Amino acid sequence: MNMLKLWGYAALLAILAIAATSCDTTDNNKPELELIPVNQVTVDGYTISLEAEKEPETGANTLYWKLEQNGNIITPQSISIQPMMDMGDMMHSAPYNQPKTAEEDDRYFKNMAVFIMPSGSMGSWTINFEITTPTDEMISGEIPVEVASSWKLTSVRDDNDKVYFITWYAPQKPVTGQNDLTFLIHTRESMMNFPAVEDLVLDVYPYMDMGGGSGHSTDFTNPVATGDGFYEGDINYSMSGTWTTSVVLVAANDTLPEVVFEYSVQAQ
Amino acid sequence: MRYLTFFILTLFWVEPALAQDLSIQLLDRNNQQPVIQAHIKDDTGTVITVSDVNGFFSINPKKYPHIVVSAVGYASKEVHLHPGLKSIYLKPQVFRDDTELLVVATGEDQNNVHAYHQRANTQNMDQFLDNIDGLSTNKRGAFAWEPVIRGQADQRMNLTIDGMQVFKACVDKMDPITSYVETSNLSKLHIDKSGSGVAENGSGNSTLDLVTQRAEHHPFSLQIQSAYRVPDNYRHLNLTTNISDPSGRNAVRFSGSYKKANDFTAGNDRTINNTQYEKLNLNASYKHTFRSGHSIEGNYITDKAYDVGYPALLMDATKALADIGQVQFNFASSDANFQLDKVQLYANTIRHWMDDYDRDVANRAVMRGMYMPMYGETVTYGTRMNGKAALLGHSFNWFLDGYASHAYGDMEMNSLDPEIEDMFIYNLRDVQTRNVGLGLKHQFRASDKILLKLEENIRYKSLDTGNESFASFFEGLYDRELDTRQKILLSASGSALWMLNDRWSLTGNLVYSERMGNHMELFGHYIYNYTDGFFYDGNPWLKTERTFNTDVNVTWETDRNSFSISLFHKQYFTYIDGILAEDVSSNDFKFKQYANVGDAVIMGGEFRSLNNINHVISLENRISYLYAQNQSLNEPLPLIPPLKGNSLIHLHHGKNMLMGEVEWAAAQNRVAETTSIEDQTEAFAVINLSFERKWMGSSLSSILEVNNLLDHYYHTHTSIGNIPEAGRNLMLSLRYNF
Ligand SMILES: [Cu+2]
Ligand SMILES: [Cu+2]
Repeated sequence: MNMLKLWGYAALLAILAIAATSCDTTDNNKPELELIPVNQVTVDGYTISLEAEKEPETGANTLYWKLEQNGNIITPQSISIQPMMDMGDMMHSAPYNQPKTAEEDDRYFKNMAVFIMPSGSMGSWTINFEITTPTDEMISGEIPVEVASSWKLTSVRDDNDKVYFITWYAPQKPVTGQNDLTFLIHTRESMMNFPAVEDLVLDVYPYMDMGGGSGHSTDFTNPVATGDGFYEGDINYSMSGTWTTSVVLVAANDTLPEVVFEYSVQAQ
Repeated sequence: MRYLTFFILTLFWVEPALAQDLSIQLLDRNNQQPVIQAHIKDDTGTVITVSDVNGFFSINPKKYPHIVVSAVGYASKEVHLHPGLKSIYLKPQVFRDDTELLVVATGEDQNNVHAYHQRANTQNMDQFLDNIDGLSTNKRGAFAWEPVIRGQADQRMNLTIDGMQVFKACVDKMDPITSYVETSNLSKLHIDKSGSGVAENGSGNSTLDLVTQRAEHHPFSLQIQSAYRVPDNYRHLNLTTNISDPSGRNAVRFSGSYKKANDFTAGNDRTINNTQYEKLNLNASYKHTFRSGHSIEGNYITDKAYDVGYPALLMDATKALADIGQVQFNFASSDANFQLDKVQLYANTIRHWMDDYDRDVANRAVMRGMYMPMYGETVTYGTRMNGKAALLGHSFNWFLDGYASHAYGDMEMNSLDPEIEDMFIYNLRDVQTRNVGLGLKHQFRASDKILLKLEENIRYKSLDTGNESFASFFEGLYDRELDTRQKILLSASGSALWMLNDRWSLTGNLVYSERMGNHMELFGHYIYNYTDGFFYDGNPWLKTERTFNTDVNVTWETDRNSFSISLFHKQYFTYIDGILAEDVSSNDFKFKQYANVGDAVIMGGEFRSLNNINHVISLENRISYLYAQNQSLNEPLPLIPPLKGNSLIHLHHGKNMLMGEVEWAAAQNRVAETTSIEDQTEAFAVINLSFERKWMGSSLSSILEVNNLLDHYYHTHTSIGNIPEAGRNLMLSLRYNF
């Protein structure tokens, strides 16, 4: 019995030493909606606030709409919008969808818009809206939006001058290690109509220029179409620093010229 | 029943001893059987008496206060005689063959054929190891050579200090842990080439254990040693002292060593740039012995190296810090069925900074146009305990060990081009290794002449990274979910020693071992391998690498001469190596991933002879050969030393000792062409001389050494980047004992 006790003691010591250095890093806090105000207008006593996760920029943006009356948040029956860029001699819209109740916070309506140009000397963006209030009132107006330039959008044209807008949808903030790699691709049928393109084959290639005329790629999976213009794959950055990712679109046996995204990856 | 018979017999045979003489019985520590025909020697090595058929001998303690007991098959033991001493336990040293070799670095016994390299004290650890048969070193410059046993380096061998796991912090292997034990602090080297000491080594891998010198119970000693060498301006100062209180219950030992060297010069006066180093090592130990016979020891090593050049690598170490501490309880032997002999608790941390600020980074082939400072760190905690147990009349030794280690490594990349953003990489991030093992060792006496030994070990080992982002890299690379990688590993060995007569002995070992990849093989990221020029990524899903080792040794030994031949054959299954990752590689950056690539074999042998022709002349010869083949690729394994050896002649005359050595290696034409960028290496032979003289009644000794007398320009095959060896150099060492 004495022996058993000693064995137990010995084993315990060994296990304690091992356990002492181990610690579980459980990190399961749910991402909370952190929004910044973009702009606000007041129409007929209703305050319409546009908020977003980041300052609006070229490429995909998730926009959050909030309706207030007398300082109280109220839930509209519906919101319908249209982004519009006024370039002086012409106007055009952008790829976007209509707001729906945000599942992460039902006080908001949420939609996605792909701004295809930055605001500036070329022109300015506004979003026209029509809101049905809970009391069946119709309010409408426009809300100006300042769109910054970003690396997340580029475009390419085929021989027939058909344009493809290629949006770097994810990762929004590339970090070292595994990232979902998602592109969103639209074309332009008219100045007001930008349908998604679902039948392309993408050929991407990440590369890091390490200076001195040399560089290397990293592990990745070519994105494939998943519907609504989305193409999903993944990219596994070996290190932080400046990376490029070239994208070649293959549409109905027509290989388009390569476009290149250049961006910075952070160590995480 | 057997014990009872034995007891009665013992009573019957007790002879009346002379009044002032002590009658002492020698007993086997494992089975309490008497040890017969043991030699009882005085301090000078003269045999006083021999133990009788019941293990008894009589001795006058006044005349011989201090004796040495030695018996075939047992470790010799020094004993201070005191009235009341009735029995002395001897530790069976069954396998005193060449493959489980005990090298005594500070051996005082001049005529002992086992005493290796009597000049060890003036040599650094690297040279010392490089000259042992079956061992070689992988070199990256003048400092910190990486020891290799039978062509197996790093993760394929166990390298420990007092049995403790100490993990390198440098991903470029700049810091083998051998550099933390100065030869002045080395008590023994325990080399188990076959790996048959499975119970204790845990894995069945070839093992090199550096056993440090502890505080000893003798009143006061102080040794000062200094050395100076030209042309590299090497300076070395060492101070070692040992004090114990009059009761002998408390003893303290301290040793400090400082070394500094400039660039060395290869043959034909070619200075090898960037081979300087500076190093400080402090070691303190304390021992307290309780009245009960139990004792406690504490030992702490701190080692700091600065500005160490590695000409074979892309960068140099600016600072390397090691802190290694342990506490050990030794329990007095008892007759209990379950005995605890030793409990050791240890902790160590290794930190390593390296950079390439002194290099021409603009014009190099790899990682061109950038500086890349790197940092690495390992922290390890562990415990080891061992003892004996008896179950159903069978006694065996048990070994329990556990450790947990944490490894980290990073690299910054700062381009010379200010337009290029700084880059950063985690080579190892929050990588945890945990290991718990239990080993058993059984010894049987099959007959008077045949001893059998069986050892087995079961281990649980796990590896993981605590960082999700770092884990995601491997998940992405291999497209699978990463959880803690864990394995149960088994290893076992069976050995037989046949002592044909008092001269000839034959040993055979069969060793089966299982190895889980280490933290670099599973979780290393973007680690440059200088042997093949590839960047390596780990693979957490590696399968267990298995080996089967067969090993035989024949030894012929007399008091004056010994010859020993060992042959071994080690088969590797599911050998772990890198395979090309084509899709991410470019001309300048080539990547590999670890994988189980197939089978490999290493075989070879060693020859050793030691001859004391008379009291003036003694000779030593050592030869090692290895044949190593990657059987899947059908090409040799890389970094395998060629046929090599050395021959020494020692001439002793009074207070003078002259030693001449020829160190040689054949050409190595078997090179790994697809898995490495190594090239063939030419044969060489160099001559070294040393002259030692004792002065002032042996208190002072001076040693003058000339190495590479003929100023040969050469490099060894295992010198990475073909960095040459030192040319002719001259070193004077002085050692004074107070
Ligand atoms: Cu526009
Ligand atoms: Cu290093």
